Amino acid sequence: MHINYWTELKRNKFGRIGLIMVSILVLVALAAPFLAPHNPWVYQGQPLTPPSEEYILGLNDIGQDILSELIYGTRTTLLVGVSVAVFSTLISLALALAAALGGRIVDRIILRLIDIMLILPVFLIAILVAIYFKPGVVTIIIMLTLLLWPPGARILRAQTLSLKERQHLTAASSFGAGKGYIVYRHLIPDLYPLLTVNLIQMVRRTVFMEAGLAFLGIFDPTQKSWGLMIHYASEFIFTGAWKWWLLPPGLLISYTIIGFALIGYALESSLDPRLRRNIHYVGH
Amino acid sequence: MLDINNLKVTFDTRMGEVNVLNQVSLKIAPGERVGIIGESGSGKTTLALSIMGLVQGQVQGSIKYRGEELLDKREEDWEKIRSKKISMVFQNTGEMLNPVYTLLDQVMEPYLKVNPGKKKEAFNRASNLLKKVGLREDHFYAYPFTLSGGEVQRGLIAMALINDPELLILDEPTSALDALTRAELIRLLDEIAQNKTILVISHDLSTVIKLTRRTAVLYAGSIMETGPTESLLREPKHPYSRALVRAYPTRTTVKDLQGIRGEFPSLVEPPSGCPFHPRCTQALEKCSQEKPCLVEAEEGALACHRGGIITLLRGENLVRRFPRQGKEGKEIYFNAVDGAGVTLKEGEILALVGESGSGKTTLAHILAGINQPTEGKVYFQDREIYSLKGREKKDLRRRLQILFQNPQEAVSHRMMVHDLVEEPLEIQGIGDKETRVQGVKEALGLVGLPGDSFFLHKYPHELSGGELQRVTIARALVMKPKVLIADEPSASLDASVQAKMLKLLMHLQNEQGFALFLITHDLALAGKVGDRVAVMFLGKIVEEGPTSEVFRFPLHPYTELLLDMAPSLEREVPSLRRTVKLKEEEGKGCPYYAHCPYSTELCSREEPPLKEKGFQRVACHRAAALEKKNNNNSYYKEIKKVL
Repeated sequence: MHINYWTELKRNKFGRIGLIMVSILVLVALAAPFLAPHNPWVYQGQPLTPPSEEYILGLNDIGQDILSELIYGTRTTLLVGVSVAVFSTLISLALALAAALGGRIVDRIILRLIDIMLILPVFLIAILVAIYFKPGVVTIIIMLTLLLWPPGARILRAQTLSLKERQHLTAASSFGAGKGYIVYRHLIPDLYPLLTVNLIQMVRRTVFMEAGLAFLGIFDPTQKSWGLMIHYASEFIFTGAWKWWLLPPGLLISYTIIGFALIGYALESSLDPRLRRNIHYVGH
Repeated sequence: MLDINNLKVTFDTRMGEVNVLNQVSLKIAPGERVGIIGESGSGKTTLALSIMGLVQGQVQGSIKYRGEELLDKREEDWEKIRSKKISMVFQNTGEMLNPVYTLLDQVMEPYLKVNPGKKKEAFNRASNLLKKVGLREDHFYAYPFTLSGGEVQRGLIAMALINDPELLILDEPTSALDALTRAELIRLLDEIAQNKTILVISHDLSTVIKLTRRTAVLYAGSIMETGPTESLLREPKHPYSRALVRAYPTRTTVKDLQGIRGEFPSLVEPPSGCPFHPRCTQALEKCSQEKPCLVEAEEGALACHRGGIITLLRGENLVRRFPRQGKEGKEIYFNAVDGAGVTLKEGEILALVGESGSGKTTLAHILAGINQPTEGKVYFQDREIYSLKGREKKDLRRRLQILFQNPQEAVSHRMMVHDLVEEPLEIQGIGDKETRVQGVKEALGLVGLPGDSFFLHKYPHELSGGELQRVTIARALVMKPKVLIADEPSASLDASVQAKMLKLLMHLQNEQGFALFLITHDLALAGKVGDRVAVMFLGKIVEEGPTSEVFRFPLHPYTELLLDMAPSLEREVPSLRRTVKLKEEEGKGCPYYAHCPYSTELCSREEPPLKEKGFQRVACHRAAALEKKNNNNSYYKEIKKVL
C-alpha cells in the first residue's frame, strides 16, 4: 500500500522524538559560527581551565574552548555520517540491482563479494588503512563508504528479487519498456522504503565508526571531532577535567546515535506490516 | 440462366445522383437457389426490380437471360418475360393487392393476360394453386383487407406461380411474419423451389439458409462476398458478412447481440474506395482509396483488399516447461502449456475456457509476448513475435495488449491514475505532454470514468475494484491496440460489476474494433461473450469452435462436463461424474482418459489429434459417439419436427 513516510513518522511517538533530536543537531551544525562563543582553533588561555562564565565547559590541554569544539564537531560528525550513508547506499543499490537483474553469474559474483566483505573485521581494516593514508575527512568518508556497503546490498538485492516479479513491471514491459525504464520508474521507487531505512541506519553506524576511529587517534588532528576530543581527554582521565571534557562528547555521540536509531525504528515499524498496529492510509 | 454483368443503377434525386447498385455481377445457373442478403438500403430490392425490368432509374451494364439481353427489351416484350419466364413474389407491405377485387380474381389476372379468354382454365389453375399454398376455399372470394398477413403472402406466391415461371424471385418472402407462419411458408417455398430456379432476397438469414444453396452479400450496392450459403453464414470470410451474422439472433445464439459499428453510408456521397471501410476493423489506407474487385476464392468470391478477415494472432504447438521440485530434491519438469495452438482473427472474440491449472494464464502470457515458450512459435500478422527486435518489437507492443488477472497487482501503487494510463504512451514516446493528457482523458472516457483533475490524481488504493479494473482497461486501450488479451478480467468482481465490465469490454471491442482473447473459467460467461470458444485441458486445446455449435453439440467429454457444471439456478447439488482410472502406461494416450466416462482401450494407448468435425475441432477418439448421443437428444428432436 501507499505509505507517506512523513505522516507515519510524525504519528509515531519515537519517530517524533528522534526527528526533534536530529533536527536540533542539524540546526547546531548549520549555525555553528553563530552559536560557538569562541574560535575553537585559537588559544584562549591557561590550558585545562575549569568551567567559568567565559568558558562554559572550560579549556582543553592546549587552551581551546571545549564548548566551541563540541559545536564545530557536530559539523564533522554529520558530514561524515550523511556522506557515507548516501554513498554506501548508492553502491549497495547499484550492486543489488546488478545482482538481481544481471543474470546468474553476475549475481553469484556479487553475492560472494558481499560474503567476503561481511566476514572482514571492518574496524581492523579501517585502522590499518587509516594509518597508511593519514586520514582527512575525505579519506575517512571514502574508506567507510567502501567498507560499509555490504549489509545494505544484501537486503536490497533480496528485496529487488521479490519486487521484480511484481506484475506492474511485467505490464510496463508489455508496453514496450526497456530495462532502464523499469528500474528507474518502477524498481527504485518500490525500493524507497528500504532505501530510507538503510540510509538512516547507515548514518547511525557511521557516527559510531567515525567516533571510534577518532578515539583511537586515527583522524586528521586539525579537524574538530567528538571522537578526537575523547581521544585527547582520555589522557587526562585522572584529573577532574574529564567531567567537562570527556563526558560531553561522549553524551553527544550517544545522543546522535539514539536520535537516528529512533527515526530508523519508527520507519521500520511503519513499513513492516507485522510491526504496524493500525494502518493509516493517505487520503481516506 | 441469368447472367448479370456490371450492373449499375442510379437515381436522380433532388439531393443529387444516388448510386444504388454498383458493378454488380451475378450468375444464376438453371435450377440453382441463390440468396441475396444485406442490410436494408443495400440495394437488394433494386436488384430484383432491375431483373424484372421495373426499376425507374438509369440502368447500365447488362442482364442476360438465357443469352438474351433484358435491358434492351421494350415494354411489349417485357410482359411475356415477366409472366412466363421470370416472376416475382413481392414484399408484402399490405398494399400489394387491389382491395376492390377478390383474391381469386387477382391470382387469375396474370394468366388471363397471357391467355386471354381462357377463364375456366384460369379458375382451375388459380384454385389449385391457392389450395397448394395452404389457403381454404373460403379465402378465395375474400377481399385482401379481410386476410391476415400470412394469407396475403400465400396469395402473392400463388399469383407469382400461376404462369409457371422458370425463375422465381422472392423479395423478403417471410419478413414481418410470426415464427410459425414463417416456418410453414419456408416449407412451402422449399417444395415449390424443387423444380424452379429461385432468387431469394432477404435480411432474414434463417430463411436464406433454408431456401438457398448459394448466397451473395450485398452492401451499399456492391457485392462483398459470395459463397455456399451454409459456410458463408457459419464462417463468413468478409468482415461485413461476419458483422451481419453476428447481429442476427437465432435460437442457438448464446452470445450477446452486437450491432455493426458505425452508420450505413450515405448513397449520395458514398465513401471512396471500399464502401465498408469506414466501419471495417481491418481497413488499410488502400481500402479508402481503391475499390476492391470481386475475386474468385475457394468456393465463392470475395471483394476485400485484405483477402477477407485476416488472422491476427496465431500460436502453434506451444509448449512451456517449468521446473518443479521432485522426490528427493530431484528437479523434474512439467508442461504448463503442452502443445496448444490458438488462432485469433481480426475483430473477433475468442473465449478460452478451462479449469484452474489447465495453463490458461501461461498461454495468455505466451501469446502476449511476455513469456517465451519452450517450444512453438507465436505469430502476430505472420511475424514471429519472439524474434522481433528493436523498433519492430516496440511496434508490436503497441498493437498487442494484455489485461492481467489482478488489477491491484498490475498497477504500481505509487502512481496516480493519470500516470498509470499515460505510462504506455510515455514508454512508446507517443505525442507530447499535452496530447498525451488528451489521450488519457479519451481512454478514461471510453471506459466510463471521469477525466477530471480530481480523479486523475487518485491513487490506486483509493479506487474500488471495478474502477481499478476500468483504469487498467483504459491503460491497455490508450494505444489503440489490435489485440487485447484479457486474463480473467472479472474473476474478482461480483456478478453485477462483472456484467458491466463484460458489457463494456464487448462494447469497446465492437466500437474500437480490436480482437479480444478472453480467458475465463466460467463456460456460461464464455458463451455470452465469445464468437468462438476454445476449451483447454492440461495444457492442450481439446475442443474449439463457434460458440453456438460448441454449446449445442459439445463433442469432447470434458466440454460436456464443463457445460453440465456451468452455473445454474437449480437447487440440485451437481453430481460430478469424474471417474479416475489408471492408465497402463503413464504419459501415453489421451490426457482426459483418467476422467473420461466414454473412454475405450484405444484412448489409453493413443493421444487423439485435434481434428476438424463440421465447424468444430476436437481432440477425441470418441467424438463420433458423443455426436450421436447429442442427436438422440429428445429436446433437439422435438425442435426438428416443428421445423
